[in-house]
Amino acid sequence: MKLGQTKSQFVAVASIAAELSAVMGVAKEISLAAANAKAIAFRAGEKAKGFQPITDFINELAKDTIALVNDINEHALTLYQLTVNEYRMTYAHDKFEQVKVLAQGAAYSESLELPLTNSTQTMLECRRDFKMSVTQLLDQLAEVMHPARAARVIAANSRIEASQAGEYLQSLQAVAESVDNAAQVIHDNVQRCRTALSVIDLAD
Amino acid sequence: MKMTNIYEGSYQWVMFGRDDNKPEKIIDTNQYMVRTSERCLLIDPGGVELFAPMLAAVLHYAPVDQITDLFSSHQDPDVISSLGLWDQALPHAKLHASALWEGFLRHFGCDSIEYVAIPDAGGVIDLGSVELQVIPAHYMHASANFNIYDPKAKILMSGDIGAAIEGPGAPMFVDNFDAHVEKMRFFHQRWMPSNQAKRVWIERARELDIDILAPQHGRMFKGDDVKRFLDWFEALQVGIGI
Repeated sequence: MKLGQTKSQFVAVASIAAELSAVMGVAKEISLAAANAKAIAFRAGEKAKGFQPITDFINELAKDTIALVNDINEHALTLYQLTVNEYRMTYAHDKFEQVKVLAQGAAYSESLELPLTNSTQTMLECRRDFKMSVTQLLDQLAEVMHPARAARVIAANSRIEASQAGEYLQSLQAVAESVDNAAQVIHDNVQRCRTALSVIDLAD
Repeated sequence: MKMTNIYEGSYQWVMFGRDDNKPEKIIDTNQYMVRTSERCLLIDPGGVELFAPMLAAVLHYAPVDQITDLFSSHQDPDVISSLGLWDQALPHAKLHASALWEGFLRHFGCDSIEYVAIPDAGGVIDLGSVELQVIPAHYMHASANFNIYDPKAKILMSGDIGAAIEGPGAPMFVDNFDAHVEKMRFFHQRWMPSNQAKRVWIERARELDIDILAPQHGRMFKGDDVKRFLDWFEALQVGIGI
Protein backbone atom coordinates (compact mmCIF):
# COMPACT_ATOMS: atom_id res chain seq x y z
CA MET A 1 0.00 0.00 0.00
CA LYS A 2 1.32 3.43 -0.96
CA LEU A 3 0.27 6.85 0.32
CA GLY A 4 -0.55 7.94 -3.26
CA GLN A 5 -3.11 5.14 -3.39
CA THR A 6 -4.99 6.45 -0.34
CA LYS A 7 -4.94 9.93 -1.91
CA SER A 8 -6.73 8.59 -5.01
CA GLN A 9 -9.18 6.87 -2.66
CA PHE A 10 -9.97 10.24 -1.04
CA VAL A 11 -10.73 11.70 -4.48
CA ALA A 12 -12.89 8.73 -5.46
CA VAL A 13 -14.90 8.81 -2.23
CA ALA A 14 -15.41 12.58 -2.51
CA SER A 15 -16.60 12.16 -6.14
CA ILE A 16 -19.09 9.51 -5.06
CA ALA A 17 -20.47 11.79 -2.33
CA ALA A 18 -20.96 14.58 -4.88
CA GLU A 19 -22.69 12.30 -7.39
CA LEU A 20 -24.96 10.84 -4.71
CA SER A 21 -25.98 14.28 -3.58
CA ALA A 22 -27.08 15.00 -7.17
CA VAL A 23 -28.97 11.67 -7.36
CA MET A 24 -30.83 12.56 -4.18
CA GLY A 25 -31.89 15.90 -5.69
CA VAL A 26 -33.18 14.19 -8.82
CA ALA A 27 -35.06 11.52 -6.85
CA LYS A 28 -36.84 14.30 -4.97
CA GLU A 29 -37.75 15.86 -8.32
CA ILE A 30 -39.34 12.55 -9.40
CA SER A 31 -41.33 12.50 -6.19
CA LEU A 32 -42.59 16.01 -6.95
CA ALA A 33 -43.42 14.99 -10.54
CA ALA A 34 -45.44 12.06 -9.16
CA ALA A 35 -47.47 14.38 -6.91
CA ASN A 36 -48.02 16.73 -9.83
CA ALA A 37 -49.10 13.87 -12.09
CA LYS A 38 -51.54 12.62 -9.46
CA ALA A 39 -53.20 16.02 -9.26
CA ILE A 40 -53.49 16.26 -13.05
CA ALA A 41 -54.79 12.70 -13.34
CA PHE A 42 -57.40 13.45 -10.64
CA ARG A 43 -58.60 16.52 -12.53
CA ALA A 44 -58.66 14.62 -15.83
CA GLY A 45 -60.91 11.96 -14.25
CA GLU A 46 -61.97 9.21 -16.70
CA LYS A 47 -59.74 10.53 -19.47
CA ALA A 48 -56.61 9.73 -17.43
CA LYS A 49 -57.86 6.65 -15.67
CA GLY A 50 -54.92 4.56 -16.93
CA PHE A 51 -52.48 7.19 -15.73
CA GLN A 52 -53.54 7.15 -12.08
CA PRO A 53 -51.87 3.86 -11.04
CA ILE A 54 -48.74 4.96 -12.90
CA THR A 55 -48.42 8.00 -10.63
CA ASP A 56 -48.36 5.66 -7.63
CA PHE A 57 -45.59 3.64 -9.26
CA ILE A 58 -43.60 6.78 -9.93
CA ASN A 59 -43.95 7.84 -6.32
CA GLU A 60 -42.86 4.42 -5.06
CA LEU A 61 -39.85 4.50 -7.36
CA ALA A 62 -38.83 7.91 -6.04
CA LYS A 63 -39.20 6.69 -2.45
CA ASP A 64 -37.16 3.54 -3.16
CA THR A 65 -34.44 5.58 -4.81
CA ILE A 66 -34.27 8.05 -1.91
CA ALA A 67 -34.06 5.19 0.63
CA LEU A 68 -31.33 3.45 -1.38
CA VAL A 69 -29.33 6.65 -1.79
CA ASN A 70 -29.57 7.29 1.95
CA ASP A 71 -28.13 3.83 2.59
CA ILE A 72 -25.40 4.38 0.02
CA ASN A 73 -24.55 7.74 1.56
CA GLU A 74 -24.02 6.09 4.93
CA HIS A 75 -21.86 3.51 3.26
CA ALA A 76 -19.86 6.21 1.49
CA LEU A 77 -19.21 7.85 4.88
CA THR A 78 -17.92 4.55 6.23
CA LEU A 79 -15.71 4.27 3.17
CA TYR A 80 -14.36 7.76 3.87
CA GLN A 81 -13.57 6.88 7.50
CA LEU A 82 -11.85 3.68 6.37
CA THR A 83 -9.79 5.73 3.92
CA VAL A 84 -8.78 8.16 6.72
CA ASN A 85 -7.77 5.22 8.92
CA GLU A 86 -5.83 3.60 6.12
CA TYR A 87 -4.09 6.87 5.23
CA ARG A 88 -3.05 7.46 8.84
CA MET A 89 -1.84 3.90 9.25
CA THR A 90 0.09 3.88 5.98
CA TYR A 91 1.66 7.23 6.81
CA ALA A 92 2.64 6.01 10.29
CA HIS A 93 4.07 2.81 8.86
CA ASP A 94 6.21 4.80 6.38
CA LYS A 95 7.48 6.97 9.26
CA PHE A 96 8.29 3.92 11.41
CA GLU A 97 10.34 2.56 8.51
CA GLN A 98 12.23 5.86 8.44
CA VAL A 99 12.82 5.65 12.20
CA LYS A 100 14.21 2.13 11.73
CA VAL A 101 16.82 3.43 9.29
CA LEU A 102 17.67 6.50 11.39
CA ALA A 103 17.87 4.54 14.64
CA GLN A 104 20.44 2.03 13.42
CA GLY A 105 22.97 1.60 16.19
CA ALA A 106 20.69 3.09 18.86
CA ALA A 107 20.63 1.10 22.11
CA TYR A 108 16.88 0.50 21.94
CA SER A 109 16.29 0.34 18.16
CA GLU A 110 14.88 -3.19 18.44
CA SER A 111 11.97 -1.94 20.53
CA LEU A 112 10.58 -0.45 17.32
CA GLU A 113 9.74 -3.93 16.01
CA LEU A 114 6.44 -4.14 17.87
CA PRO A 115 5.00 -0.84 16.55
CA LEU A 116 6.23 -1.79 13.06
CA THR A 117 4.58 -5.22 13.20
CA ASN A 118 1.39 -3.74 14.64
CA SER A 119 1.22 -1.05 11.97
CA THR A 120 1.73 -3.63 9.20
CA GLN A 121 -1.06 -5.74 10.67
CA THR A 122 -3.43 -2.79 11.07
CA MET A 123 -2.65 -1.61 7.55
CA LEU A 124 -3.64 -5.02 6.17
CA GLU A 125 -6.85 -4.97 8.21
CA CYS A 126 -7.69 -1.48 6.94
CA ARG A 127 -7.11 -2.66 3.36
CA ARG A 128 -9.30 -5.73 3.86
CA ASP A 129 -12.14 -3.63 5.37
CA PHE A 130 -11.84 -1.10 2.57
CA LYS A 131 -12.02 -3.74 -0.17
CA MET A 132 -15.02 -5.35 1.46
CA SER A 133 -16.74 -2.01 1.74
CA VAL A 134 -16.08 -1.12 -1.92
CA THR A 135 -17.60 -4.44 -3.04
CA GLN A 136 -20.71 -3.77 -0.95
CA LEU A 137 -20.99 -0.24 -2.31
CA LEU A 138 -20.75 -1.48 -5.90
CA ASP A 139 -23.62 -3.87 -5.17
CA GLN A 140 -25.71 -1.05 -3.74
CA LEU A 141 -24.99 1.12 -6.76
CA ALA A 142 -26.11 -1.69 -9.03
CA GLU A 143 -29.30 -1.90 -6.99
CA VAL A 144 -30.08 1.78 -7.40
CA MET A 145 -29.90 1.32 -11.18
CA HIS A 146 -33.01 -0.90 -11.04
CA PRO A 147 -35.50 1.81 -10.05
CA ALA A 148 -33.88 4.13 -12.60
CA ARG A 149 -34.43 1.54 -15.36
CA ALA A 150 -37.99 0.90 -14.18
CA ALA A 151 -38.67 4.64 -14.23
CA ARG A 152 -37.75 4.76 -17.90
CA VAL A 153 -40.23 1.95 -18.69
CA ILE A 154 -42.91 3.74 -16.69
CA ALA A 155 -42.16 6.96 -18.54
CA ALA A 156 -42.77 5.15 -21.85
CA ASN A 157 -46.11 3.78 -20.57
CA SER A 158 -47.01 7.21 -19.27
CA ARG A 159 -46.61 8.67 -22.76
CA ILE A 160 -49.05 6.10 -24.13
CA GLU A 161 -51.59 6.79 -21.38
CA ALA A 162 -51.12 10.55 -21.77
CA SER A 163 -52.03 10.30 -25.47
CA GLN A 164 -55.59 9.34 -24.43
CA ALA A 165 -56.05 12.15 -21.92
CA GLY A 166 -57.51 14.75 -24.30
CA GLU A 167 -56.80 18.31 -23.19
CA TYR A 168 -54.51 16.93 -20.43
CA LEU A 169 -52.22 15.37 -23.02
CA GLN A 170 -49.53 18.05 -22.80
CA SER A 171 -49.42 18.19 -18.99
CA LEU A 172 -49.17 14.42 -18.63
CA GLN A 173 -46.61 14.17 -21.42
CA ALA A 174 -44.53 16.76 -19.57
CA VAL A 175 -44.70 14.56 -16.46
CA ALA A 176 -43.59 11.53 -18.47
CA GLU A 177 -40.77 13.56 -19.97
CA SER A 178 -39.66 14.78 -16.56
CA VAL A 179 -39.57 11.22 -15.13
CA ASP A 180 -37.67 9.98 -18.16
CA ASN A 181 -35.05 12.74 -17.88
CA ALA A 182 -34.67 12.23 -14.15
CA ALA A 183 -34.20 8.49 -14.60
CA GLN A 184 -31.52 9.15 -17.21
CA VAL A 185 -29.70 11.59 -14.89
CA ILE A 186 -29.77 9.06 -12.04
CA HIS A 187 -28.47 6.36 -14.35
CA ASP A 188 -25.60 8.59 -15.53
CA ASN A 189 -24.66 9.75 -12.03
CA VAL A 190 -24.66 6.24 -10.60
CA GLN A 191 -22.57 5.12 -13.55
CA ARG A 192 -20.05 7.85 -12.71
CA CYS A 193 -19.96 6.62 -9.08
CA ARG A 194 -19.12 3.15 -10.33
CA THR A 195 -16.41 4.53 -12.59
CA ALA A 196 -14.94 6.53 -9.67
CA LEU A 197 -14.81 3.36 -7.59
CA SER A 198 -13.31 1.35 -10.41
CA VAL A 199 -10.20 3.57 -10.55
CA ILE A 200 -9.31 2.52 -7.00
CA ASP A 201 -6.65 -0.11 -7.13
CA LEU A 202 -7.92 -2.96 -5.00
CA ALA A 203 -4.91 -5.13 -5.68
CA ASP A 204 -2.74 -5.98 -2.66
CA MET B 1 19.21 15.33 15.64
CA LYS B 2 21.62 16.54 18.33
CA MET B 3 21.15 15.19 21.84
CA THR B 4 22.35 17.13 24.89
CA ASN B 5 22.11 15.92 28.48
CA ILE B 6 21.18 18.94 30.56
CA TYR B 7 20.65 17.18 33.90
CA GLU B 8 22.12 13.98 35.27
CA GLY B 9 20.97 12.69 38.62
CA SER B 10 18.82 9.73 39.55
CA TYR B 11 17.05 10.62 36.31
CA GLN B 12 17.97 12.61 33.20
CA TRP B 13 16.88 15.62 31.23
CA VAL B 14 17.85 15.48 27.57
CA MET B 15 17.40 18.20 24.97
CA PHE B 16 16.92 17.22 21.31
CA GLY B 17 17.31 19.76 18.54
CA ARG B 18 19.37 21.30 15.74
CA ASP B 19 18.43 18.50 13.35
CA ASP B 20 20.71 18.82 10.32
CA ASN B 21 18.14 17.13 8.07
CA LYS B 22 15.23 19.36 9.04
CA PRO B 23 13.36 20.75 5.98
CA GLU B 24 14.66 24.27 5.44
CA LYS B 25 11.43 26.21 5.76
CA ILE B 26 10.16 24.81 9.03
CA ILE B 27 11.18 26.47 12.29
CA ASP B 28 13.83 24.70 14.36
CA THR B 29 12.51 23.37 17.65
CA ASN B 30 13.87 22.01 20.91
CA GLN B 31 12.33 18.86 22.29
CA TYR B 32 12.99 17.69 25.84
CA MET B 33 12.84 14.35 27.56
CA VAL B 34 12.74 13.46 31.24
CA ARG B 35 14.02 9.89 31.56
CA THR B 36 13.53 7.98 34.79
CA SER B 37 14.54 4.37 35.32
CA GLU B 38 11.23 3.09 33.95
CA ARG B 39 9.46 5.93 32.22
CA CYS B 40 9.94 8.76 29.76
CA LEU B 41 8.17 12.06 29.37
CA LEU B 42 8.59 13.85 26.04
CA ILE B 43 8.01 17.59 26.40
CA ASP B 44 6.75 19.35 23.26
CA PRO B 45 7.64 16.35 21.08
CA GLY B 46 7.54 18.40 17.89
CA GLY B 47 5.99 18.65 14.46
CA VAL B 48 5.07 15.84 12.13
CA GLU B 49 8.19 16.45 9.99
CA LEU B 50 10.36 15.78 13.01
CA PHE B 51 8.75 12.59 14.23
CA ALA B 52 11.17 10.10 12.65
CA PRO B 53 14.44 11.79 13.70
CA MET B 54 12.98 12.52 17.14
CA LEU B 55 11.89 8.95 17.87
CA ALA B 56 15.17 7.64 16.43
CA ALA B 57 17.05 9.93 18.83
CA VAL B 58 14.92 8.90 21.82
CA LEU B 59 15.72 5.23 21.08
CA HIS B 60 19.30 5.97 22.15
CA TYR B 61 17.94 6.49 25.67
CA ALA B 62 14.79 4.41 26.05
CA PRO B 63 12.77 1.64 24.42
CA VAL B 64 9.46 2.53 22.81
CA ASP B 65 7.36 0.89 25.53
CA GLN B 66 8.95 3.11 28.20
CA ILE B 67 7.86 6.32 26.49
CA THR B 68 4.82 6.64 28.71
CA ASP B 69 3.99 10.34 28.73
CA LEU B 70 3.84 13.31 26.36
CA PHE B 71 3.35 16.93 27.29
CA SER B 72 2.23 19.72 24.99
CA SER B 73 2.79 23.27 26.24
CA HIS B 74 0.21 24.57 23.76
CA GLN B 75 -1.46 23.70 20.46
CA ASP B 76 0.96 24.92 17.79
CA PRO B 77 1.89 22.48 14.99
CA ASP B 78 5.63 22.78 15.68
CA VAL B 79 4.88 21.62 19.24
CA ILE B 80 2.59 18.65 18.72
CA SER B 81 1.47 17.99 15.13
CA SER B 82 3.34 14.67 15.43
CA LEU B 83 0.64 13.49 17.87
CA GLY B 84 -1.10 11.25 15.30
CA LEU B 85 2.14 9.33 14.78
CA TRP B 86 2.91 9.00 18.50
CA ASP B 87 -0.67 7.76 18.79
CA GLN B 88 0.19 4.84 16.49
CA ALA B 89 3.57 4.17 18.10
CA LEU B 90 2.56 4.48 21.79
CA PRO B 91 -1.01 3.25 22.14
CA HIS B 92 -0.78 3.14 25.95
CA ALA B 93 0.80 6.54 26.56
CA LYS B 94 -0.76 9.66 28.10
CA LEU B 95 -0.82 13.14 26.65
CA HIS B 96 -0.81 15.92 29.26
CA ALA B 97 -2.18 19.11 27.70
CA SER B 98 -4.58 21.92 28.43
CA ALA B 99 -8.24 21.03 28.89
CA LEU B 100 -9.04 23.97 26.64
CA TRP B 101 -7.09 22.58 23.71
CA GLU B 102 -8.42 19.01 23.83
CA GLY B 103 -10.96 19.35 21.02
CA PHE B 104 -8.33 21.06 18.87
CA LEU B 105 -5.39 18.75 19.54
CA ARG B 106 -7.48 15.69 18.76
CA HIS B 107 -7.52 16.88 15.13
CA PHE B 108 -3.92 15.66 14.93
CA GLY B 109 -5.13 12.11 15.73
CA CYS B 110 -5.47 10.93 19.32
CA ASP B 111 -7.46 7.69 19.32
CA SER B 112 -5.30 5.44 21.48
CA ILE B 113 -3.32 7.84 23.66
CA GLU B 114 -5.12 8.93 26.84
CA TYR B 115 -5.68 12.71 26.90
CA VAL B 116 -5.01 13.97 30.43
CA ALA B 117 -6.64 17.39 30.52
CA ILE B 118 -4.74 20.00 32.55
CA PRO B 119 -6.97 22.57 34.26
CA ASP B 120 -6.15 26.29 33.94
CA ALA B 121 -4.55 26.30 37.40
CA GLY B 122 -1.93 23.73 36.32
CA GLY B 123 -1.03 20.63 38.31
CA VAL B 124 1.62 17.93 38.47
CA ILE B 125 2.90 15.17 36.23
CA ASP B 126 3.82 12.18 38.36
CA LEU B 127 6.42 9.93 36.74
CA GLY B 128 6.70 7.69 39.77
CA SER B 129 10.14 8.60 41.04
CA VAL B 130 9.91 12.20 39.74
CA GLU B 131 7.16 14.75 40.15
CA LEU B 132 7.08 17.71 37.77
CA GLN B 133 5.05 20.87 38.26
CA VAL B 134 2.83 22.18 35.47
CA ILE B 135 3.02 25.95 35.70
CA PRO B 136 0.35 28.15 34.05
CA ALA B 137 1.73 30.51 31.39
CA HIS B 138 -1.53 31.54 29.76
CA TYR B 139 -1.32 34.00 26.85
CA MET B 140 2.41 33.34 26.70
CA HIS B 141 1.74 33.07 23.83
CA ALA B 142 -1.27 30.75 23.47
CA SER B 143 -4.47 31.45 25.35
CA ALA B 144 -4.02 28.19 27.24
CA ASN B 145 -0.32 27.63 27.80
CA PHE B 146 1.80 25.76 30.36
CA ASN B 147 5.45 25.41 31.38
CA ILE B 148 7.06 22.43 33.12
CA TYR B 149 9.14 23.02 36.25
CA ASP B 150 11.36 20.43 37.86
CA PRO B 151 12.21 21.63 41.40
CA LYS B 152 14.93 19.01 41.85
CA ALA B 153 16.77 19.60 38.58
CA LYS B 154 15.84 23.32 38.78
CA ILE B 155 14.84 23.37 35.13
CA LEU B 156 11.95 25.42 33.77
CA MET B 157 10.84 24.33 30.31
CA SER B 158 9.33 27.62 29.24
CA GLY B 159 7.73 26.88 25.86
CA ASP B 160 7.95 29.91 23.59
CA ILE B 161 9.12 32.19 26.42
CA GLY B 162 12.82 32.83 25.90
CA ALA B 163 12.68 31.57 22.34
CA ALA B 164 15.04 32.94 19.71
CA ILE B 165 15.22 32.50 15.98
CA GLU B 166 18.68 31.24 15.12
CA GLY B 167 20.56 29.84 12.17
CA PRO B 168 21.44 26.16 11.95
CA GLY B 169 24.17 24.97 14.25
CA ALA B 170 23.60 27.59 16.97
CA PRO B 171 25.08 26.68 20.38
CA MET B 172 22.83 25.04 22.94
CA PHE B 173 23.30 27.70 25.64
CA VAL B 174 23.38 31.50 25.58
CA ASP B 175 27.02 32.54 25.91
CA ASN B 176 26.68 36.29 25.45
CA PHE B 177 23.36 37.59 26.74
CA ASP B 178 23.66 41.09 25.29
CA ALA B 179 24.38 39.73 21.82
CA HIS B 180 21.51 37.25 22.18
CA VAL B 181 18.86 39.90 22.94
CA GLU B 182 18.35 40.94 19.33
CA LYS B 183 17.58 37.32 18.37
CA MET B 184 14.68 37.35 20.85
CA ARG B 185 13.28 40.85 20.67
CA PHE B 186 10.89 40.71 17.70
CA PHE B 187 9.76 37.18 18.56
CA HIS B 188 8.66 38.26 22.05
CA GLN B 189 7.18 41.60 21.00
CA ARG B 190 5.11 39.99 18.23
CA TRP B 191 4.17 36.60 19.65
CA MET B 192 3.48 37.56 23.27
CA PRO B 193 0.15 39.38 23.21
CA SER B 194 -0.19 40.84 26.71
CA ASN B 195 1.99 42.89 29.08
CA GLN B 196 -0.36 41.94 31.90
CA ALA B 197 0.08 38.20 31.23
CA LYS B 198 3.83 38.76 30.93
CA ARG B 199 3.99 40.44 34.37
CA VAL B 200 2.00 37.62 35.99
CA TRP B 201 4.31 35.03 34.43
CA ILE B 202 7.48 36.87 35.51
CA GLU B 203 6.23 37.07 39.11
CA ARG B 204 5.51 33.36 39.02
CA ALA B 205 8.91 32.52 37.46
CA ARG B 206 10.78 34.62 40.06
CA GLU B 207 9.35 32.46 42.82
CA LEU B 208 11.01 29.41 41.27
CA ASP B 209 14.59 28.35 41.81
CA ILE B 210 15.81 28.03 38.21
CA ASP B 211 19.22 26.86 37.04
CA ILE B 212 18.19 26.34 33.42
CA LEU B 213 15.46 28.10 31.46
CA ALA B 214 14.75 25.83 28.51
CA PRO B 215 12.69 27.34 25.66
CA GLN B 216 11.21 25.53 22.67
CA HIS B 217 13.32 27.45 20.13
CA GLY B 218 16.91 28.63 20.23
CA ARG B 219 19.38 28.53 23.08
CA MET B 220 18.81 27.67 26.73
CA PHE B 221 19.69 30.07 29.56
CA LYS B 222 21.88 29.01 32.45
CA GLY B 223 22.76 30.54 35.82
CA ASP B 224 22.77 34.34 35.87
CA ASP B 225 21.43 34.52 32.32
CA VAL B 226 18.08 33.29 33.66
CA LYS B 227 17.77 36.41 35.85
CA ARG B 228 19.05 38.59 32.99
CA PHE B 229 16.35 37.20 30.76
CA LEU B 230 13.58 37.85 33.33
CA ASP B 231 14.77 41.46 33.81
CA TRP B 232 15.04 42.08 30.06
CA PHE B 233 11.63 40.55 29.41
CA GLU B 234 10.05 42.59 32.21
CA ALA B 235 11.19 45.83 30.56
CA LEU B 236 10.08 44.78 27.07
CA GLN B 237 6.75 46.04 25.72
CA VAL B 238 4.95 43.16 24.05
CA GLY B 239 1.84 42.77 21.89
CA ILE B 240 2.97 45.12 19.14
CA GLY B 241 1.09 43.53 16.23
CA ILE B 242 -2.05 45.63 16.47
